[in-house]
Amino acid sequence: MEAKNENHSMWKFRLTAATMTLIPAAVGINYVAKAFAEGLKLPVWLGSLGTFLASMLAGPVAGAISGFINNIIYGLTLSPISTVYCLTSIGIGLAVGILYEKGYFDKASKVLPAALVIALVSAVISTPLNVIFWGGQTGIAWGDALFAYMTAHHVSIWIASFADEFVLDLLDKVIVAYLAYLIYKQMPKRLVFFFKGNR
Amino acid sequence: MGNHLQVAFDQVNLNYAGFDELALKKLTLHSEINKVGLIGPSHAGKSTLLYLLAGVLDQVIPTEKSGTIALDGQDLVNWLASKQIGLVLQDPASQLSGMADTVFDEIAFGLYNQGLEEAEIEKRVQAVAQKLDLEDFLDQAPTALSGGQIQRLAIASIIALKPDLLLLDDPTSQMDPLGRQHFFAWLKESDCPVIIASSEIDDLAEVCDQLWVLEDGELQMAGKPADIFMKFANDQEIAKPAAFLMGEKMGCKFDGHYPVTADELMKAAAYGNHD
Amino acid sequence: MDAAKSASSNANWTASVDPVTKLLLILFFTLAAFCAQNLVEAGIVLVFTLALVFALPTKKSLWAMTAFSLFIIVTMVVIQGLFWPSNQTVAFHLGTIDFYQEGLKHALLLGSRILVIIFSTSFFIETTTLSENSRYLEKSGLSFKQVYVLMSVCYILPQMHRNLQKIRFAQKARGIQPAKSLWSKAKTLMPVLVPLIVKSFQEAMNRSISLQLRGFDSPVRRVPKSDRTYWQDRACHRLLAALSLVLVGVKIWEIICK
Repeated sequence: MEAKNENHSMWKFRLTAATMTLIPAAVGINYVAKAFAEGLKLPVWLGSLGTFLASMLAGPVAGAISGFINNIIYGLTLSPISTVYCLTSIGIGLAVGILYEKGYFDKASKVLPAALVIALVSAVISTPLNVIFWGGQTGIAWGDALFAYMTAHHVSIWIASFADEFVLDLLDKVIVAYLAYLIYKQMPKRLVFFFKGNR
Repeated sequence: MGNHLQVAFDQVNLNYAGFDELALKKLTLHSEINKVGLIGPSHAGKSTLLYLLAGVLDQVIPTEKSGTIALDGQDLVNWLASKQIGLVLQDPASQLSGMADTVFDEIAFGLYNQGLEEAEIEKRVQAVAQKLDLEDFLDQAPTALSGGQIQRLAIASIIALKPDLLLLDDPTSQMDPLGRQHFFAWLKESDCPVIIASSEIDDLAEVCDQLWVLEDGELQMAGKPADIFMKFANDQEIAKPAAFLMGEKMGCKFDGHYPVTADELMKAAAYGNHD
Repeated sequence: MDAAKSASSNANWTASVDPVTKLLLILFFTLAAFCAQNLVEAGIVLVFTLALVFALPTKKSLWAMTAFSLFIIVTMVVIQGLFWPSNQTVAFHLGTIDFYQEGLKHALLLGSRILVIIFSTSFFIETTTLSENSRYLEKSGLSFKQVYVLMSVCYILPQMHRNLQKIRFAQKARGIQPAKSLWSKAKTLMPVLVPLIVKSFQEAMNRSISLQLRGFDSPVRRVPKSDRTYWQDRACHRLLAALSLVLVGVKIWEIICK
């Protein structure tokens, strides 16, 4: 009976004043993290950090919506192609929220397997999108180099594209997961309770 | 002058959810609110008290509370349901709606929510902008304003709602001296009940007819500024207005106490009892 | 004088198209580009979107968006020209390397689809303002809460973009050397990122308190009046929605027949 209630509360989501402002904050954080990664020329995107935190603070639905809006609005204001990858962001939001509820973000050692799952979810959703729009490429140099190498050796375009995407996602999501874990631990308790209490 | 509100706190204990320590301890106070100044060191519970009266706690921030609060004889929750409360937070930029193209739109935001007609909204925004020296900025984007102007904008957005009780949490922290002067001059003339938490002790002494002193979540004293400053004359934690310090130095008293306003200082120096 | 006049008259016709129609145009042209089977058909769709682009008053941000995609399109052309699985006919030689027709055509097809999306989206971006969008959406029936969530993000993103550009410019002007090693890069990241994130959430909390107090969920809220008139907005919505459904149907039919 108790477990059932827990699941029920994880999926409950109301558009309150708290969630209304959490989502734009998460999108802003996604943007800042991505800009930092680009500015420092890191080989990862980091653009899902806000989505991770939104899921951890207010549940999988909040994270999914943050991710969705992130891509849609980003696509309509700064970079048009991002729009379709909203599907990936939704997947990431849901995955992080569910894994967080199951306790995978409680200890540093459990974050790694969670990050692997999230990377897998992200790659599985992004690969068809990559194939449809970019012929399988991801736009990141060393991922596409791998892709070129594999297709040159007559590997199926789907497998090559998945490999391209998964390798990048693995590195990115592991780093973002640990960043989110560390940042969440440093958040003032009052803030955490504020967003949690408003689910 | 204006509406006087009766407030009654009875044994109010309050802590934020997830925290053990009490933010407000055994708060008991029966008083009339005209212009009340809330003073005390940081983390004394001033913001918490303002949030509590605004109905923010419980509604928005999870807390555990015991004791009762009544306004004009009504329980706080019931009173809030039928009245308009105004709360200006400490950080002005973060309390803007984040969605207004112009200063005009920002001030008008709450008014649209009240369902007012366009003509009335136009009138109120102009009136409020004039009171807070924002008329020249009505067409500008809120993001283009300076810190002090944003603070005035936040205040304007709240007073445009014509609140029945105005709560201000350190509303002049980013204003320049002139802006602060105008603000407190306006505050003195305004006719709605006000509780203002501030460290501008000189201005509070001029404007407020009552001061509440909070320390560590406990109400140390509530009373007239003169009485408060005389009681805490030797307490280093409580700042005194310049007039008081000068009166002390000169040994001039006014009406049995050291002066707390410029006016009283002048009279004390001229006609008052010299120690 | 004439240029300004023609610019303002251009602005006039784009201004009488409502925001939702412009969004539906993005959808419609994207679907059309996907239904295009070959370069000729894709080219026709591309020309239509180019026509939209020429109606734009400013084309600055368009170039920034296109430039990034052009780079990827070029790499796509190279990689697919060389390695596309169904490559058979040689298009041309570069030394000993062969570029194949099928791969090149496929890459150009994909590239033109991307450009269609970019062009039609920039038509939307450049000819609407956020307040116009928010008023129209609310008038069309979205609740204020939903409009707020969408629109406040639109405000945050370009603003942060500008702020970060200012910071980068200031850093360059001061001659701050970018960190070299991966580890030192990571070390500069955390102390800046963490307080920024905590502050963002703190501001979100304050904003939500403020919204609550200013009555954002008031049932008597009156939608701000917009003095814009749009040309046949309902008709355009229905027409474009219907056309888009037709295109989706065509594509599904095509996939079934394969």
